[in-house]
Amino acid sequence: MRKLPFQTILIANRGEIAVRIIKTLRGLGLRSAVVYHDADAGTPAVAMADTAIAISGRTPIAAYLDIPQIIAAAHKASADALHPGYGFLSENAEFARAVTKAGIAFIGPTPESIELMGDKIRARNFVQRNGFAVAPSIEEDDPATFTFRARTVGVPLLVKPSAGGGGKGMRIVRDLANLEDAIAQARSEAQRYFGDGRLYVERYVENPRHIEVQVLGDSFGNVVHLFERECSVQRRFQKVIEEAPSPALSPELRRRVCEAAAGIARAAKYQNAGTVEFIYGGGEFYFLEMNTRLQVEHSVTEMITGIDLVAQQIYVAAGRELGFSQSDIVSKGHAIEARLYAEAPERGYVPTTGKVLVLEYPDGDGIRIDSGVVQGQQITTAFDPMLAKIIVHSPTRNEAALKAHRAIGELVLLGCETNAHFLTRILRDEAFLSGHVHTGYLEENPHIASGEAASDLSAFLATAALLTRPVRESADAVPELHAALGSWRN
Amino acid sequence: MKHSFEVDGVDYQLSLSRCQQGYRLRLCNKVIAPVALSQQAEGCGVLTIAGESEPVRFAIDGEVIHVHIRGRTRILHYRDPLRTLACANNEADHLLTRAPMPGLVVTTSVSPGQSVSAGTALMKIESMKLETIIRSSRDGVIDRIHFNEGESFERGAVLVTLSDEGR
Repeated sequence: MRKLPFQTILIANRGEIAVRIIKTLRGLGLRSAVVYHDADAGTPAVAMADTAIAISGRTPIAAYLDIPQIIAAAHKASADALHPGYGFLSENAEFARAVTKAGIAFIGPTPESIELMGDKIRARNFVQRNGFAVAPSIEEDDPATFTFRARTVGVPLLVKPSAGGGGKGMRIVRDLANLEDAIAQARSEAQRYFGDGRLYVERYVENPRHIEVQVLGDSFGNVVHLFERECSVQRRFQKVIEEAPSPALSPELRRRVCEAAAGIARAAKYQNAGTVEFIYGGGEFYFLEMNTRLQVEHSVTEMITGIDLVAQQIYVAAGRELGFSQSDIVSKGHAIEARLYAEAPERGYVPTTGKVLVLEYPDGDGIRIDSGVVQGQQITTAFDPMLAKIIVHSPTRNEAALKAHRAIGELVLLGCETNAHFLTRILRDEAFLSGHVHTGYLEENPHIASGEAASDLSAFLATAALLTRPVRESADAVPELHAALGSWRN
Repeated sequence: MKHSFEVDGVDYQLSLSRCQQGYRLRLCNKVIAPVALSQQAEGCGVLTIAGESEPVRFAIDGEVIHVHIRGRTRILHYRDPLRTLACANNEADHLLTRAPMPGLVVTTSVSPGQSVSAGTALMKIESMKLETIIRSSRDGVIDRIHFNEGESFERGAVLVTLSDEGR
């Protein structure tokens, strides 16, 4: 295969995704460069990259959103291409344009595609115009009447930022009395996270399933899908467990949803990797949004198809034609991904912090760990709470759930509370195992988050007592009566 | 001698004494014996309770002990008896507003010297993606605001100190 036109790729991201991209770059014989804020100085991506360039900002997040600084870093690293990862600037058309203008290849879709699909309202209109199903909604084209018109959608409804994604700024309203507050809060969050306070309101479908399709397009107009993922296990619109294939789809529905996704991408002349998200309920699916970037959960697709999506993104950005056609892509077995978060589901998913004192990941056949933390690292609330992803691949769904359960049980992370045990509670839950999940599954089953009310702590207390010097010393200071008598007799 | 460990906000009293094959643990009204912990490598051990052994992983950070047993992790705080006594009547805790979770100050809505009543919004904090309003739990005068806008804090940190009005 002919040589890639790139030598050094700058990763404008952090955490596990930066590490994951570096691994592929190494495999392709490319040099990696990362930007990092001081708060991330001790993270594995900084240690692994061939070059690491510090950036600063008013807050750590602001540093990773600073376009001029990142482009200056790319020049400094002599990068000829840039991978935005997910989140941050990955769906910012202005950024994609600035990168290209700086003579650096942007590893992602064209700025036009980002503009079309990145703006949720425009995307919905586009998809609807091209004959695909969308949910009823109201746009904020006239802010003066927005609240009034939003009421006509009826409850339950969902207030969503027009820009961005990842659940940020979204609010469900079940009582119209709360609508104005929800709009004000969503606008404030949208403004801060995306610099764009525009909103829209959409009818909320109760208990839908979240099904999304991975697509890949090249600059020659070829578009393929890499099958679907199901991401219905969510808390506060944040995905917790993802899998592929979806246990909910019949072969016929799978064909329809995957072809719809490829059709939407084709209509948009989409290049690079993207994800078309659908809501599925009552036997029907409709378009939710398209994410014009790599997803967190892309790894389950890589497990079932054997295709390295980051490598494909780089090939497409290098102007290559896709090396396979739709019929070459085969889905094999079942993959499950569980997201390890620094949070306590038992206390309403509050974020947790601390220094990672011990970190040991499970390994074995069909187990992949995408981690953004190392031992000794301080976990703060400066960023997203995701620490790592545990991804497993097995012949069947039940075997995958069992393998994931065992792998998470073997994972040892001490120093910062995580949701690890919560993940194992989901993986052995009957509803999950029978495939009966929807986006309200965790809310409907609060016992999964709260855990057992009275778990036996005696083994933990015994360990702690035996490890605490004053406790041990006070025991050792008083000779045990029977032991003393025993030795007396001899 | 009684010792105390706190786990998830609950205090557990226990006492440990020697017995022939190790130690005897008295926990509430329960006696567990013999218990023994053999340390294998740094942070690795085998806990044996009444003849049954299981591997444990642990990390000690001052008076905080992190323990992992069979897929579960617990954080146990050793309550030093002397220090617990010293702290008991120290701070006027009712005047302190503490952080319910770690986060970042988005905006502060009050300033020192200002009178507030129960329910007054003191500051807006953000934890991960959610904004929360921290409100005063009582009437008083703002004595001190401990964090500036943009600064981050840990769970339990004192955010705002009030002083008793007119006293």
